[in-house]
Amino acid sequence: MKIRWPLFVRRLHKWLALVIGLQVVLWTATGFYMVVIHIDRIHGDHLVRPVERLAVDMVSLVAPGTVLAAVPDASEVRSSSLLDRPVWLVTSPGGVSLFDAGTGERLGLIDADQAETIARSIYTSDEEVASVSLLQEAPMEMQGRKPPYWQVTFDRWDSPTFYISPESGELISRRHSLWRIFDFAWMLHIMDYDDRSDVNNLLLRTSTWLSVAMALSGAWLLVWAFPRRRKKKKTA
Amino acid sequence: MVAGLGLSAPPQEEENGMKRIRFTPLFFRRVHKWVGLVLGIQFILWSVSGAMMAFIDMTDVRDQPMIAADPLAVPGLLAPADLGIGEVESLKLSMADGRPVYEIGESGSLRIVDGLTGNPVTVDEALVRQRATAMVDAPIRAVSLMDKPNLEAREFAGPMWRVDFGDAEGTSAYFAADTGRFLVARGDGWRLWDFFWMLHNMDYADRTSFNHPLIIVVGFGVLFLSGTGFYLLFKSFTRRDFRWLSRRRAPGGRTTRALRN
Repeated sequence: MKIRWPLFVRRLHKWLALVIGLQVVLWTATGFYMVVIHIDRIHGDHLVRPVERLAVDMVSLVAPGTVLAAVPDASEVRSSSLLDRPVWLVTSPGGVSLFDAGTGERLGLIDADQAETIARSIYTSDEEVASVSLLQEAPMEMQGRKPPYWQVTFDRWDSPTFYISPESGELISRRHSLWRIFDFAWMLHIMDYDDRSDVNNLLLRTSTWLSVAMALSGAWLLVWAFPRRRKKKKTA
Repeated sequence: MVAGLGLSAPPQEEENGMKRIRFTPLFFRRVHKWVGLVLGIQFILWSVSGAMMAFIDMTDVRDQPMIAADPLAVPGLLAPADLGIGEVESLKLSMADGRPVYEIGESGSLRIVDGLTGNPVTVDEALVRQRATAMVDAPIRAVSLMDKPNLEAREFAGPMWRVDFGDAEGTSAYFAADTGRFLVARGDGWRLWDFFWMLHNMDYADRTSFNHPLIIVVGFGVLFLSGTGFYLLFKSFTRRDFRWLSRRRAPGGRTTRALRN
């Protein structure tokens, strides 16, 4: 049997499109969203003030070696500041602990008021704080980062949200509506509807090759799609 | 096929000499064809690079050597004040190569001093080799100092050391020139992935941005390719196309014969 290639490829293109077409629309639409809004904005860079490194005089501070006695298995001591107060951040397998670098006193966990004050001091805008809560379970938008953390949300259309570590008082993450839409678009783009992170899932692997086949058959059809013009050129 | 639908459209033109656009299936077919002609190559590249990135195992691409954070050894440790460290922007104490070291941030740059002697630690080839050997179990092929990051270490800034290993993956490890801190390791898995990532984000020079005008314009155009294609799905299938389904479902029905045509 002689195969009529243009007809065969046209049918192939059509049927592949029937199977994968909706996903291709989703790929192009979500891709366009991700391309149009700058990634720095998605990351929320515009929500936070750049960190100002304040000079600290080591002579006036308690030496980092002395706070180590309280955390025997510590692997790192780092200078930082907590609401304009110099602190030592001590990292150990058990987590992070805070010490007042002026007195050497161990500081407790950050409370709600402190979390709110920290959030306000980082925030570049001046809306009111809408809510402050200590999360014990990771919300979707924290992508499995280990709680607990303070969630401070500001009262604005895109509900900017800061996640602050109760141990160190540092900003862990920031989220806002454009990020949340991006994350949803990303989920549709990579077709991982559970964790939104596995780019090697079987569904995506299959769909992408189907799309390749559809695109190639479409390209092949282009050769046949402009017949008159081709003839004209030949005779000209 | 129903392409004939559009062909029979009467020539309704002549409004200011312009052909009025009629939203017939033929019109959408034409848009589909022309956008395909202009942007089809990029659609193929997006599909192929997307398929390859889905195919290449991400755990291999992201794989980094494990670096243990050694517990700090306090005996003999000198206080910053004893080392003549005065006003600084940042200070970090950690273990490096079995000794406590201070990392000092001053006027925007970093330096490290030995926490036991107070001597400055020079990050030279010997130190980088030592750290590289402790990290990756493979012979070192070459060590070089770069004054700015290459494509593989583009997430970082400033001068850095590059260590090439003679392993199967062709691993290259990068270390900061000021502190000797390990930055990142790249192997052939990452390199292959990164090539397709470049094809996908169309940033052929820097490979990082996917928010540049070229990709925005092409992305916008391709919306018309996929949009018209999706619309045409509803115009391209007839009841006949699905006859094989009902035939197969019919109880005791004949098995479908080979597709005609």
